[in-house]
Amino acid sequence: MADTKKKIREALTNWEENVLKPRVKRFNLPESPTRFYTPLSVKKDDFLGKVGFPGQFPFTAGNSPFDFWRAYARDAALMGFRPDWGGAGKVGKYGGFGTASDYRDYLLRMHAMGRTGGPNIAFDLVTQCGYDSDSPYAEGEVGRVGVAIDSFRDFQIIYEAYTGENDIDRVPSNYTINAPAAVIIAMYAVLAKKRGIPLEKLEGTPQNDILKEFIARGTYIFPPRQSMRLFRDTCVFCTKYLPRLNINSIGGYHIREAGATRIQDLAFSMANGIAYIEAGLEGGLDIDSFAPKFTFNAFGGSMEIYHEIALQRAARRMWATIMKERFKARDPRSMLIRQPITAHIGCSSTTLQRPLNNLARAVVGGMAAGMSGAIPGAFPPFDEPLGLGHSLEAVQLQLDATRIMLYEAKVTDVNDPWAGSYFMESLTDETEEAARRELDVIERMGGAVAAIENGYMPKAVARSAYERQKKIESQEEFIVGVNCFTGENEIEVSINRVFESTYDPELMKTAEDRQKASLAALKRERNSTAVKSSLDQLRTDAGNEQLNLMPSICACVEGEATLQEICDVLRDEFGEAQPIKL
Amino acid sequence: MSQGGKIRVLIAKPGLDGHERGARVVAYGLRDAGFEVIYTGLRQTPEQIVTAAIQEDVQVIGLSILSGAHLLLTRKVIDGLRARDARDIMVLVGGIIPEADIPGMLEMGVARVFTAGTPIGDIAAFITEQLRDAGETLQAEQTE
Repeated sequence: MADTKKKIREALTNWEENVLKPRVKRFNLPESPTRFYTPLSVKKDDFLGKVGFPGQFPFTAGNSPFDFWRAYARDAALMGFRPDWGGAGKVGKYGGFGTASDYRDYLLRMHAMGRTGGPNIAFDLVTQCGYDSDSPYAEGEVGRVGVAIDSFRDFQIIYEAYTGENDIDRVPSNYTINAPAAVIIAMYAVLAKKRGIPLEKLEGTPQNDILKEFIARGTYIFPPRQSMRLFRDTCVFCTKYLPRLNINSIGGYHIREAGATRIQDLAFSMANGIAYIEAGLEGGLDIDSFAPKFTFNAFGGSMEIYHEIALQRAARRMWATIMKERFKARDPRSMLIRQPITAHIGCSSTTLQRPLNNLARAVVGGMAAGMSGAIPGAFPPFDEPLGLGHSLEAVQLQLDATRIMLYEAKVTDVNDPWAGSYFMESLTDETEEAARRELDVIERMGGAVAAIENGYMPKAVARSAYERQKKIESQEEFIVGVNCFTGENEIEVSINRVFESTYDPELMKTAEDRQKASLAALKRERNSTAVKSSLDQLRTDAGNEQLNLMPSICACVEGEATLQEICDVLRDEFGEAQPIKL
Repeated sequence: MSQGGKIRVLIAKPGLDGHERGARVVAYGLRDAGFEVIYTGLRQTPEQIVTAAIQEDVQVIGLSILSGAHLLLTRKVIDGLRARDARDIMVLVGGIIPEADIPGMLEMGVARVFTAGTPIGDIAAFITEQLRDAGETLQAEQTE
């Protein structure tokens, strides 16, 4: 072995002197524009330790030998399965608009067309920020980017679309909500109680990832430490009573889209994940009782296909190692990064200029996904940056691109096709090492919460976003049709775009007034004495850090206290997070 | 309005929208381009923005909106400036603004809408030119 390495080293020196250098000189370059990797690039050749088999520690080669979509790929082709209509793993299409009844009616129409799957709810910003529709902060925002939920009454109305075959013990519920996640989880539990469905049958995923809201997405309410108490309480509550519900969906995606580098994305995601694990442990849980119910939303993506594949491999290995070595997990399921997709380009890689080019870009992301353990999803549809929703044509092209990679190119017939590549193993090592160094910086500050409180992570992301912008403006990085190839010889290629009528614009116009009217009716009709006493109990419990707040939040929800009333009590007790300046 | 010195710009995030990449990048970029930049941080009401703009004595407000609530929020900022007799402050809007909404926003009194992919240099150049033109007009009026 040592002899072989010596021979390679000699040959490498010879190649650099006699082939590479003259070439570089001939083109008058300061250095070679390309790189070549050899067995010498991989520090330690340790297949079992660093790569391993798909579905086995350290999971570099994948979470399993094949996923459900791969098992059913042939069936999906024969039946013409439409993932965009919802139903993959019984998860419905992500959406939400207007009032609860607007969205219920929309869902019923979709179900009648065979577009099923559980509720996968987008909430309006008012709800995400813990306000009611009659708050001054709500004006103009009610029902706009998602559905408005002021109280359990609204929640129940949406679920009128889910009964019988689609009842909540049959389909999972997904909630893209973070700061008030505890309230929404409480609503789900109370709904099950009212329907006589055992809590242990409930499935689904609340996003419940508050830390990245401070770093990137911005829908925070309470300060970081108090927010983590709410996370702890949901984590313990779900583990004890809703064991099939996922606890969270940790997102590096939002962090990267906000401007983070790939390494920051990975390191910050790991730091946040560690903070959530520690919260569960602090709540008295055994690591293997709850870690298997952690999920990851997605890491961010970019056009750099090799680096994105390396990121996925490094992330799987890194999380598995942290869980096994640091937290002493024994159950392999505790060590998995369970995420619906792997690599992708990220919506921020798409361009408004010559938008049809985004299809080519999405295919690059799809290849990266297919070669790193996921369905080769071409995402997003090319018209993503046009800000009008996705047209039927754009969605069709996206789906077909994915199908072409899956069925024609057969991209996913091999697990971790890059395993053993000198280049990819070296790049995976580099990615993991760089992320570990960044994670160490955060750990020395005291972990994710401290690195949010002192502004480190949010400011680092903003800085990176600006550095990237400067690289684009100075043409250090090229984006086709944006900062190069923009001359008069280039033409805009366009196709007709047809939009399916989704959310009725007339309903959108009146949603705010109608929602406010139904909130006023609720406040008239409910038992206000009972509401007050449930809120008082919540206030008392909030004052005792040791108590789990979920029982008192459930009582508030059941008594029809509003989401804002619940959050206002906690605002009084916990304080409010302050916006992060530059 | 401040005389001489740097042009003062308030970058503001009205409403509940939390996407602040664009706002932060433009703030850094204009700062590097020699402007005095104040960034409000997330979740400011139109009233808070108008007050901040007047207190900070800025010549320009840059509103960053990606939630779809741009028409209402922009109108409220402009109405607020008018009510406080501060309509001379230039209002720019950036973010996800559908093409169809832009004419209405210009009519409302927005000086310019900058959509995704705009180089910061273009924004800086636009502000400088507009303020120079406005300064010349003002000077001409005063001479008359």
